[in-house]
Amino acid sequence: MANFNTHFMVASGASAVVSGTLLSMEVVSPEQAVNAFVLGTLGGLLPDVDSAHSTSIKVGFNVLSLLMTIMLIFVKSSTYSLVEMFIVAGLVFVGIRYALLDVFRKISKHRGMFHSIPVAFIWGIVISILMQYFFGLDSLVSWVYGFMVTTGYFVHLTLDELYSVDLGNRRMKKSSGTALKFGMFKTSKAQIHTAIIYVTIPLLLLIAPNTDLFINALFSHDAWLNFKDVLLPYDGKWFIH
Amino acid sequence: MKKSFKITMLTIAVGVFAGCVPAPKPHIPVGIGGSIEVHPSQETVVDKEYGAKPLNYTTAIRAYFSTKIARGGLSQYKYGEPKRAYKKKGLAYGGDIDWKGWLVETAIATPTRTGRMLTPKPYMVLFSGEQIVEHILGYSHKLITKVDK
Repeated sequence: MANFNTHFMVASGASAVVSGTLLSMEVVSPEQAVNAFVLGTLGGLLPDVDSAHSTSIKVGFNVLSLLMTIMLIFVKSSTYSLVEMFIVAGLVFVGIRYALLDVFRKISKHRGMFHSIPVAFIWGIVISILMQYFFGLDSLVSWVYGFMVTTGYFVHLTLDELYSVDLGNRRMKKSSGTALKFGMFKTSKAQIHTAIIYVTIPLLLLIAPNTDLFINALFSHDAWLNFKDVLLPYDGKWFIH
Repeated sequence: MKKSFKITMLTIAVGVFAGCVPAPKPHIPVGIGGSIEVHPSQETVVDKEYGAKPLNYTTAIRAYFSTKIARGGLSQYKYGEPKRAYKKKGLAYGGDIDWKGWLVETAIATPTRTGRMLTPKPYMVLFSGEQIVEHILGYSHKLITKVDK
């Protein structure tokens, strides 16, 4: 299993490549490419938030609690006094950073469903929904951000799976097959968890932003031509344009 | 009796024929001695809630996008008719109504840096009167409601 630093470095490297490509293909603007890079990197740390004492869970809950506190300040700044805002913001921060984290630590199990392919998709869909409903972003950018989180998530799962191969002893470690999996099927409880995860995906898609622009920008014939246009110098001249 | 009948008939006839005469078109004076005839489609429509319907939206959209998107000046534009619409703020900003006005659906085909024309991209351009407030990529958004379908 890769450690926090390895996940961080690999996820940020992969996110830089993907967001740079999207920028070059003119799918996103420079500012959006920076956001995409950050979200991709965070996506690469997300799977370990189910590990009770990992750095990821601390980073994840720090970011979440700060984000919710800032959002509260945005919404209530016109109606609340400074003292009211300070008290409520403090309560929200402490509530998420400590109380919710404690509950989450008790109910989550490391390498459970959090380390699975469908959950990687769920995170992507949830992020795209939040981006449109909460921040009013257009459907293309919302889906690009969701895609980046899913990509980062996949990088993490793949890395964990690669680390389960002991190259020195030429054997598979015990952790093999626990990261990049489609679900858990051993016990009836695990099967119910898996079923819930799979049912959640189409339900989330019902309220998700329209996918047409995203598919056209990234997975269409036009997108492929666009990618080929930017892959190599179109005029055959290297570095001199 | 006969006289009053005649007057009544005459009044009705005048009324009927007057109704058939087209209403005079408004003339807007231009410079000295000239005038522009305003066609019905160009007449200012002012909605109490949504404001004045934009008239010169094609010119405004072209000028706006020439600086907003890459190679906007070389792009091909197709415009829909202005529709009344409103937009809510994102939930992070309170979710209240942010804008009410006229929305013009526009398709813009831009060339790539190699000169190849891309599939037209859909945009919703939001107007307050003749002024463009913002543009949103796509013809749908969860926070935008189109009043006119």
